[in-house]
Amino acid sequence: MDNLLHVGKNIPRTAETDKVTGRAVYMDEYKRPGMLHGKILYSRYAHARIKSINTEKAKNLPGVRAVITGYDIPDVRVGFLGDQTVLKRDLVRQFRDEVAAVAAITPEIAEEALKLIEVEYEPLPAIFDPLEAMKPDAPLVHETDARGRPLRSNILPLPWKFNAGDVEKARQESAYTATDSVNTPWINQCCMGTSGCVAEFDSNNNLMFCSQTNVIFGAKQRIQTYLLNIGLKGKKIRVINPTVGGSFGTKLDTDIYEFICIQLALKTRKPVRIRFTREEEFMALPPRQTARFTIEQGCDKNGLLTFRKVEAILDNGAYTSWGATTPSVMMLPISSMYRVPNVSFQATCVYTNNIYSQAMRGYGNPQAAFAVETSMDHLAETAGIDAAEFRMINRNHPGDVTPMGLKITTCPLEQCITAVKEKIKWDEKRGKRNGRGVGMASLIHVAGGARVYLSDGTGIRIKVNESGEVDVLSGSTDQGQGSPTVIAQIVAEATGFKPEDVNIVFGDTALGLWDAGTHASRHTFVAGNAAVRAGEKVKQQILELAVQYIPKMVKRSLKQQKKKNPDFVEPELDYTLIDSPEKLDLRNRMIFPKAAPDHPHFKTEVGKILTSGLHVGTGESKAVVAEVFWDPPTEMLNAEMKGNYSCTYAFGAAGVEVEVDRQTGEVKILKLVSAHDVGRAINPSLVKGQIYGAAYIGVGYGLTERVQLVDGKVVNPNFRDYKILTANDAIPVEAVIIEDPDPAGPYGAKGIGEPGLVPTAPAIANAVYDAIGVRIKDLPITPEKVLAALKAKEG
Amino acid sequence: MSNYEYHKPQTVKEAIGLMESLENAKYIAGGTDVIVLVKQEKLAPANLVSLRNISELVYIDTKDGLKLGAGVTHSAIANNEFIRKRYSALADAAGAVGSKQIRNVATMGGNICNAAPSADTACPLLVLDAKIVIDGKAGKREVPIDDFFLGPNKVALNAGELVTGFVLPDLGSNTGSAYIKHARRQAMDLPIIGIAARAAIKIDGNEAVCRDSFVAGNDISQTIKRLEDERLVFEDVRIAMGVVAPRPVRAKKAEEAIKGKIISEKLLKEIGEIAASESQPRDSIRGEAWYRREMVKVLTGRAILRSIGRIVGPEQMTNPNRLW
Amino acid sequence: MKKEITFTLNNEKVVVEVDPGWTLLYLLREVFELTGTKEGCGVGECGACTVIVDGDAVSSCLYPVLEAEGKNVITIEGVAASDGTLHPLQQAFIDNNGVQCGYCTSGMIMSAKALLEKKAVPTEEDIRTSIAGNICRCTGYVQIVESVQQAAERMKK
Repeated sequence: MDNLLHVGKNIPRTAETDKVTGRAVYMDEYKRPGMLHGKILYSRYAHARIKSINTEKAKNLPGVRAVITGYDIPDVRVGFLGDQTVLKRDLVRQFRDEVAAVAAITPEIAEEALKLIEVEYEPLPAIFDPLEAMKPDAPLVHETDARGRPLRSNILPLPWKFNAGDVEKARQESAYTATDSVNTPWINQCCMGTSGCVAEFDSNNNLMFCSQTNVIFGAKQRIQTYLLNIGLKGKKIRVINPTVGGSFGTKLDTDIYEFICIQLALKTRKPVRIRFTREEEFMALPPRQTARFTIEQGCDKNGLLTFRKVEAILDNGAYTSWGATTPSVMMLPISSMYRVPNVSFQATCVYTNNIYSQAMRGYGNPQAAFAVETSMDHLAETAGIDAAEFRMINRNHPGDVTPMGLKITTCPLEQCITAVKEKIKWDEKRGKRNGRGVGMASLIHVAGGARVYLSDGTGIRIKVNESGEVDVLSGSTDQGQGSPTVIAQIVAEATGFKPEDVNIVFGDTALGLWDAGTHASRHTFVAGNAAVRAGEKVKQQILELAVQYIPKMVKRSLKQQKKKNPDFVEPELDYTLIDSPEKLDLRNRMIFPKAAPDHPHFKTEVGKILTSGLHVGTGESKAVVAEVFWDPPTEMLNAEMKGNYSCTYAFGAAGVEVEVDRQTGEVKILKLVSAHDVGRAINPSLVKGQIYGAAYIGVGYGLTERVQLVDGKVVNPNFRDYKILTANDAIPVEAVIIEDPDPAGPYGAKGIGEPGLVPTAPAIANAVYDAIGVRIKDLPITPEKVLAALKAKEG
Repeated sequence: MSNYEYHKPQTVKEAIGLMESLENAKYIAGGTDVIVLVKQEKLAPANLVSLRNISELVYIDTKDGLKLGAGVTHSAIANNEFIRKRYSALADAAGAVGSKQIRNVATMGGNICNAAPSADTACPLLVLDAKIVIDGKAGKREVPIDDFFLGPNKVALNAGELVTGFVLPDLGSNTGSAYIKHARRQAMDLPIIGIAARAAIKIDGNEAVCRDSFVAGNDISQTIKRLEDERLVFEDVRIAMGVVAPRPVRAKKAEEAIKGKIISEKLLKEIGEIAASESQPRDSIRGEAWYRREMVKVLTGRAILRSIGRIVGPEQMTNPNRLW
Repeated sequence: MKKEITFTLNNEKVVVEVDPGWTLLYLLREVFELTGTKEGCGVGECGACTVIVDGDAVSSCLYPVLEAEGKNVITIEGVAASDGTLHPLQQAFIDNNGVQCGYCTSGMIMSAKALLEKKAVPTEEDIRTSIAGNICRCTGYVQIVESVQQAAERMKK
């Protein structure tokens, strides 16, 4: 694996130069002739009966082309559990419920028209606390399920239950135990580019859908189903991506506004764009949900973990999207972070009249890691063992199979913890309780795909044009992480071309092969593996051409030299050096015999082979093209929630040094070290970018960010009151890349999109405890909570 | 897009005339509040009268005290060496407002007339004894700032009047001031609370010892102890608090209680307690009342101490971003 | 009622009819189709719409269009040289991974450019304060600060 030319280098993001010149086309700039603008009217209540809707005035406003309500479109259910419709009839169950929509010639007119829609509501009792909602006599958010069968409870029919070993027995045998209750808040993903889409039907009612989705084939399938259900059978759908201004989970599910846009386009026979305002982004998009955990752990007298028992209650909100499946990833740290033989986990998702929830970077992992790592520190202290040592004692090892059935291949967790300890000066700074403290947390995450759909595959098609550009057609997407650069490096390495030769086409269902989506930190790993395999095939084809044409070219050249200069003595050449593709190699656009890399006659620029070898006349002309669909050898979770659902797993650790102002409760981060097992860094600069960015969101999760809901309504739907950290909130962050190439990864790489976020908040909480002896178990760690806890402690 | 006419008078007189003749008109300066309110449909003026092109509103006159035009931007205040040194609290506050993009256009006049309880520059102007210069069809008048704020977004301006400037007295070289913005972020934020202080002091002992105490990173208790040893006496103190009442307010009982006393940790704590008793904070999504009251207790002393640092401390104490 | 204004836009004198209720952002995006300037929030809280007016970074979403009269306005489209050569800031953002999703990038570069025009050798604190009004969700600002530092270095030479 040595001697790599492009992998491992900080190749600049030249493919994205349009982003620094202002030329990149985001959804905001994606325009179609005659395009209309759609706007959505939301509910005014968290729970109410719609008594009447009058759209006459809105329809009569000049410039308005369509006004639709739930009564104007087929009553078709959408979503993961089919528990909602596109526009709501009769009942609204949350403030963001879509009640009506308008298409008009400008966004301003559409907005104006919304104000003219008259909706009469009869408010109903609403429920906002999941614990209240779980009680038997609680008012029901849904009276029936998707098929109309009556429901008796607000608890979702998703039994997240996992058991391994014997927790009860292990508890009795433990020398020490610790129990904690921890809470995590709603978090808005805060993509800088707000949500939007453009829907356009052609004259045959085939749909062109420009969407920000990071799962283009999943979106296509959901839309296909929807069209079928509303009576549009056999229609062709093409989903394309514009440049996407961030995703962070928001683009995993097809959102209601996208179906509304399709309905408006259908109704008006025009292209329609919906583009969210920032306020809508906060109040009408599903955030990361709140979770309450109870965690109990035990260890023996030597500090070896004996059991872990976790119960989680998730506020699902009024409907179900991918928030309800986050327990499948909570399982990762709960079952497999550190060696723990006996585990039980139960998660309950509860309907409330709050905003519904979905995925965010890290999925369920940051929430569960906060529970696990808070408990780890607590238990270490109870057992009288240093918290870093405690983690080291219980660390995972290569070759482990965890209680969940995860097969750990490479695992440099030890190096990660050691690096953090050194860089944060753990031994020197830990345990002072003088207002300054250090804390640590670790992580495990999927890093080799994640089999959440039946296929976790990605297809890559590579073609080499006669002029020597390498076109890569992928069904994946890029939301800003730099996939075009990373895939170009991998393809250049595998094919023997240069990264600048590679032209990547992402985000088009008509051009790309199927892909499970750019999520779960899977793109570099899965698409990279497909790219390596396809690239090697392309290289083989070119070398076959070379075997055929290099001798011809050399002989022709020698003949010409002889012609020009009769004294020229033809050299004796050993053509067996190049008589089979296996004897040749192609690197950096040069073809050469492996046995004589600098051979003065046989070393040939690849372009010459392409021009002479491809277009050669009737019956003989060729094209260089290869495609590979690669599906990792993994398993879906079985009924017991066990299975090796990723090809490999990433480990890491974060260390934080904080200073706490005991009088104000403010926590200042003096240093943050984030050390990550990345297998191999295809592009170290881009890897660091992922770590820094994720760690920063992690700091926000730890200290400042929360969507505030009052009786179901988002009361801080703006960047003034939703506190994303600014550049002035300078966190001295150091990203440490630990390389331990994974045999299954492309050139050894593992996924690194999400891990940086996972351990940051618990490391901060643990550092705060080390600084002042107060454990904050409720994120974010605001000055109010710190001060209140200090006052409570001091009595 | 909004439906207003936009007028660009060149003189104050012209502006007042326009305001008188136009229906449903409102002044606009930097626009960073007004345009937001219009976009959010909390304001629907038919006419906006811009104060941005009136050159007579843009001046920083340091001849006798400080005279500021209402059209001076927050950036201009924050970057002005004289203001940073002699009216430090004002520079602290101006530099802490919003973002660079906002500070580059938002004006002093606008911040004060908007009269949000959280307006950062209000507390410094209160402790610096500013007078507001007002002009209107009835002529010019000056109003002490304490009489200017009436309530949330309510100020003592008659119809058509505008603020043209601020007059701040010369406070002498034994006076220092500071503003502490207690926010969740270091930029782009509103204060949970804001505290401004101004202190005039006398030192019986060795001033050089005091100076040495003001090194960033020093333990605050030790600094106070050394100042106490050198018999630092408060001659005159002003304290103002933001976001603890419907309008920015002075803590007058606390000011009285500290006058003539020698600094001590106990004294600063007491003063904080008195100031807190004068505050009436409320719970909001941005902060809880109990916490705001606690912060008045803590930050009053710190603001006073930082003010002293501006007098006796080293040069860099004028830097508003110091830890103190 | 429409009014005509004249100003310098990316080093070119322009005369254009505007509605008094427009913001500068609206004029740039909808009339001149200079769509590199983004609307991330519309109320001056994210910095995606930052442009440079007479040397100062401002939020174009809050800038009344009539105030552009006679001013010198630079947008991201006016940052590269006329032959397309990237400005050192643009090049540094590409080279140092200062751009990820790119939505904040135009505004970031404009804020940084306004700083470097006033202060050729900025401290890290100068840089951070200058871009503190530009929210970025992808990068944690680290490589953005590094990009600005490198651009300043390159521009000194």
